Amino acid sequence: MKAGKSRNTSEKEPGSLPAAALAVLVHLVFIGLLIFGFHWKEKPPEGMMVELWQDLPTQPIAQPQPPVKSTPPPAPPPPKQPPKPAPEPKVEPKTEPQTAPKPEPVKPQPAPPKRPDIEIKEKEAKVKAEAERVQREREEQKKREIEEQKKREQEAQRKRQAEEQKKREQEEQKKHEQNEQKRREEEALKKRQEEEQKQREREEQKKREQEAQKKREQEEQKRREQEARRKREQEEKARQEAQQAAAAAAAAAAARAQVASEIGKYQAMIKAKIRSRIVMPPDLPGNPAVEFDVTLLPGGDILGVRLRKSSGYPTFDSAVERAIHLSKPLPLPPDPALFSEFRNLNVIVHYLE
Amino acid sequence: MNTTVTEDLSLFYLISSASLFVQLVMLLLLLASLLSWWYIFRKLFVLRDAIRQSDEFEDYFWRGVDLNTLYQRATTARYTAGSMERIFISGFGEFSKHPPGTDVDMIMESTRRAMQATYQREMDRLETHLSFLATVGSVSPYVGLLGTVWGIMNSFRSLSNISQATIAHVAPGIAEALIATAMGLFAAIPAVIAYNRYVSDTEKLATRFESFMEELSNILQRRASH
Repeated sequence: MKAGKSRNTSEKEPGSLPAAALAVLVHLVFIGLLIFGFHWKEKPPEGMMVELWQDLPTQPIAQPQPPVKSTPPPAPPPPKQPPKPAPEPKVEPKTEPQTAPKPEPVKPQPAPPKRPDIEIKEKEAKVKAEAERVQREREEQKKREIEEQKKREQEAQRKRQAEEQKKREQEEQKKHEQNEQKRREEEALKKRQEEEQKQREREEQKKREQEAQKKREQEEQKRREQEARRKREQEEKARQEAQQAAAAAAAAAAARAQVASEIGKYQAMIKAKIRSRIVMPPDLPGNPAVEFDVTLLPGGDILGVRLRKSSGYPTFDSAVERAIHLSKPLPLPPDPALFSEFRNLNVIVHYLE
Repeated sequence: MNTTVTEDLSLFYLISSASLFVQLVMLLLLLASLLSWWYIFRKLFVLRDAIRQSDEFEDYFWRGVDLNTLYQRATTARYTAGSMERIFISGFGEFSKHPPGTDVDMIMESTRRAMQATYQREMDRLETHLSFLATVGSVSPYVGLLGTVWGIMNSFRSLSNISQATIAHVAPGIAEALIATAMGLFAAIPAVIAYNRYVSDTEKLATRFESFMEELSNILQRRASH
């Protein structure tokens, strides 16, 4: 291989570097495919093995089941615990307000002194005792009156307080009602304003929609007009193109026809020239035909003549072949581009014209 | 190959655990494969260019252009010329070197020799590396087979020390040995395909060159005799 390279020092071989890069690429792709294929085929059987080994060492099948059952129980308790503490705080606030008012209205202790001292030893003692009783009774009466007065005053105070409370409540109710009325009025105002705004917005929206519709209609009209213009232009273009194409096709056809007529003309000339040189063998039955392949050189020279299909009469075949060789500078069209049509010529000669 | 064994059977593990001889065989086959693919692509480019240049030149030649202008055009572009153009240059150059009045047979004889020499040089250039592709295509399967046989021999020899032999003991050795055969086939198949294709291409080109030489010598002879 080194010898081969050294012989070709006249020219470097093109593309040896890209070729090397392509060769390396082919190998990389192949190795990549191989590795991928190996991994792809390897993994599934491994998974099968793992499953088989797990079943075999654990002979009691009941063991794997309990862990499955034991795990669920811990889960339910947490939801039950939280609801219990929740009701307790609700009960406490209710009990406290009930107990609080009770201690206040505890009534004062009833009057203690009622001691019938009935010890009659002497009259004097009786008189004294009576006088003391009278005094005591008076004092007690005074105390009772004072207490009654206090009670009345207290009741009056309570009544006043109650009345004041009622007044306050009434005032508060009035205030509330006034406030509510104000609020209602304000709300009504707001509602009216909002309704007005909404109406305005609706009207604006209607206006906008109308304007948008007008715009759309205008745009659609414009589009239609533009489309119509485009269509007209396209049709005109298409017509022009069709005309041009027709003209081009006609020209091409004319050129082809010219070329064909030229080729046909020269073919006829060649045939006539060959035919004029044939020395016809006499008295052949029927109308035999011979076919030759003639290779021409530019300039009309004949490079080779090969018999393609014999007529069945060797004398006729050889006469035609001689005639082809004799008519040597064959007439060819002056245009060298047409020579390709004449390079390999197929000549068929019939015995009778 | 990869269903029974629990061992790691990845490709690199198999290659790295193979014996030294098998590894050498694999390396050799990898190099052969790389080189053959390199030549495959090089020859592809070269032959494609040759066919294209011949087409162009033949098309231009048979348009009936004057031979002198054709010769000048060809010589100015001598280094980008194709094989057929170079045959024409050598033949016409030799033909025009003779002074007018020399014997026509002599002129034609020397012209033909010059064209023949160029033709053979061109054919030699087109056929280089084809022999290498043929060698890789025919030999590398055997080399791979040799590596495989060697690896299997080793794996069976290590089996002799074990009392209870199972497939699992032999399988990795056989798997790693079979890689060598796979590599040999991988190197051989494209080389054989490319060899056949390129040989037919070069033969077609050769017949084209030969017929062109005959036709050109005819033209030149007619020109000399006038």
